[in-house]
Amino acid sequence: MSLPDRQQRLAALRDTIADIERKPVLAERRSVLAAAPGDGFPLLAGGLLQEIFTDERRNSGAILGFALAQAKSLLSEKRCAVIYLQLGKQSQEMGLPYGPGLLSFGFDPASLILVRPANMVELLWAAEEALACKAVAAVIADIADQPKVLDFTASRRLNLRAASSGTSFLLLRYGTTREASAAHLRWRLTPALSARKRFDHLAPGPLRWRVQLEKGVLLTQQTEWLLGWTQNGFTTLDAANRAANRHAAGAPLPRAVPAHLADGLSETA
Amino acid sequence: MLFLPTWPTDYLKRRDGKLTTPLALYERIKGGLRLAAIDAEAGRAGLSVGQNLADARAMVPGLTVLELDRPLLEAAFADFADWHSNASPLVAVMHDVAGFGDLVLDITGVAHLFGGERAMLAMLLTRLRELGYAVSGAIAPTIGAAWAVSHFARSQVVEPPDLDRVLDALPAAALRLDAAQIAGLTQMGLKAIGQLRSRERKPLQARFGVSLLLRLDQAFGHIEERMTPRLPPAERYAERRFADPIGLMDDVLMTAHDLAIQLAIRLETEGLGGQAFHLFLYRVDHQVMTLSVNSARLSRDPEHITKLFTHRSERLEGAYDAGFGIDMIRLAVSSVGALDAAQLGAFTQRDATEDLDQLHDRMSSRLGPMVVLRTQFQASHIPERAARLVPAIAHVPGDDQPRPDLVRPLRLLPAPETILINAEVPDGLPASMIWRRISYRLIKASGPERLGAEWWRSGQRLQLVPQEVPKKGEQKPYIPNLARFTPDAVSRDYYVVEDADGHRFWIYRQGLDPTQSEIGWYLHGIFS
Repeated sequence: MSLPDRQQRLAALRDTIADIERKPVLAERRSVLAAAPGDGFPLLAGGLLQEIFTDERRNSGAILGFALAQAKSLLSEKRCAVIYLQLGKQSQEMGLPYGPGLLSFGFDPASLILVRPANMVELLWAAEEALACKAVAAVIADIADQPKVLDFTASRRLNLRAASSGTSFLLLRYGTTREASAAHLRWRLTPALSARKRFDHLAPGPLRWRVQLEKGVLLTQQTEWLLGWTQNGFTTLDAANRAANRHAAGAPLPRAVPAHLADGLSETA
Repeated sequence: MLFLPTWPTDYLKRRDGKLTTPLALYERIKGGLRLAAIDAEAGRAGLSVGQNLADARAMVPGLTVLELDRPLLEAAFADFADWHSNASPLVAVMHDVAGFGDLVLDITGVAHLFGGERAMLAMLLTRLRELGYAVSGAIAPTIGAAWAVSHFARSQVVEPPDLDRVLDALPAAALRLDAAQIAGLTQMGLKAIGQLRSRERKPLQARFGVSLLLRLDQAFGHIEERMTPRLPPAERYAERRFADPIGLMDDVLMTAHDLAIQLAIRLETEGLGGQAFHLFLYRVDHQVMTLSVNSARLSRDPEHITKLFTHRSERLEGAYDAGFGIDMIRLAVSSVGALDAAQLGAFTQRDATEDLDQLHDRMSSRLGPMVVLRTQFQASHIPERAARLVPAIAHVPGDDQPRPDLVRPLRLLPAPETILINAEVPDGLPASMIWRRISYRLIKASGPERLGAEWWRSGQRLQLVPQEVPKKGEQKPYIPNLARFTPDAVSRDYYVVEDADGHRFWIYRQGLDPTQSEIGWYLHGIFS
């Protein structure tokens, strides 16, 4: 029996036991459960707290695209809404999700609810309320600066809330500093030069993002992807071939390759 | 205080236009028929209230007489009082002297809406006089004083410092006393209130009873007088009065929960649900605080309603002030609609949208309705008008969705930002850009997508064909004096641009021809 297969079976058994005991499944286990069809980008299950970092605020479009793409895969008939949270005063700085743009991206704007609280405390309250709601597929919080309120305790709270309700929480963060947090997964995302457009090489083609997994364990050993987006899901491109034109500004943070034996331990990066 | 001395006759005359004057209403008092209300004309003819009906008929041969129907008149006057809630929400009928004729309005904090107290009084009086009612009114710091002035003096506004001076000059009968007390006072020679006030209180109490002193103190504001406002704007409500006033918000919310249960039972028996719930907190010091919450769908669930009020109260923070305490709480429901009892089956799934609506309610009640938003599409090709953010509670599907094959950014800046662009003249693609003090070398670009301005909203004159020169003798057509609409100056050319790092933006150029109008470049959206 191959190793990932065994892990998956173990995780499934733990899930069953948790179901019998009526306890939320151990939060750290969830990330392992993410199904990985083929070699492509893994389709992540709900109930995860994910931090998506990008170096600069001007990448706000790319980071929103990645979050929406994940949220779209979580939408179902029972979980039919995605909540987007942004401080009211940061709208001009970051831009607001735009209905026709969402349509052309492939996301139905009718299922997106925008919440624009006045301060960080209210935003966290709204996030917790939304996470507790069984009809919400994912909560996306767009936080432009480094608020003090959003510390380890707060993220642990959100982590537990997300794990118990099965609603995903996607935290969009900007900058290169990484504070301690209880997130299951942490991504670093940079936009990449778009693909060639057919018949018009001067025009921007399909969107591409470069994604690195900085923290967390997935079934696949891969930690870096070059992703494209079609209306139906991610397309993976060979990241290795493109290593030459990697963005030079920020090298990936040094971290150990996740070992198979240590997957029971929670990680703090 | 509004005093309508001949209200019964005025009302009947208004209701039945065929009644002829003079008009008098009689009542059976102590076995005899006596006049109970007369109109102004009968009064001029020498009739008075309390007169024998037979005497009156003999004095005025053309007198129209009707029997006084007290319940009818009282009900009619109550309706009449309710109507005054357009001037002030706190309206009461004073039953001390008669079941009708005296109307009390608490105008605390209301007068400025009508341009001050004087203007408000004038408005109220003229409004009634135009309807054919004889009326006098007074605005005073106490109910007793207002009653006294409206009955025994000219209509006026009594300022607090003038209260003593004005009241002292009025006759003792202005204190709402009964006939025996007035007769006694007259015998003692105490005619004016001022004389009464200078007397020792104990002998007065021994002689005339405690009610005289009570009325005296009420008129001068030494003892508080309550009015019971007629306030049933919502038909369905539950209320609770407290023997001891309460002050803590937790107690209020607990009571709200109890009231919500009472209200839910009532709504359930009627098969109804409500969308707007109002909590009225009646403070001891005559103030009413109102908390309102809205529900996205019809509801009567007490837990949900209480939760909404809890969130709403958190938004109050410093604005909550119980003062000396709250002695009555009323929970009212409005926007009522039919809501059938739902059967909770073992095999039916709970509807997800209901959970979602409750989430909207909770977030809107705590954060405010303009915070929880959804996109509504509008039929417009101008990007910022094509989508509106509307409160999620009030969301209705808008116009048709725009075509998904349009190239539109994921994020739109609420206000486009000025950028510097280097582009070939006249129609080249942008080659470099400076935005927020960072310069970008643009290696990919597509466009332009030309969006013309909406001339029908510009408020300018559209001229498609050259104007004809009118022939001699012909009347010139009317042309409004508006600036001419120049499509070139307000059209936008949108480009999608991308730099080597994959940053992709949506920028536009306002104005087409640099020789004819000013040209500006703006960044409007962010793709990636």
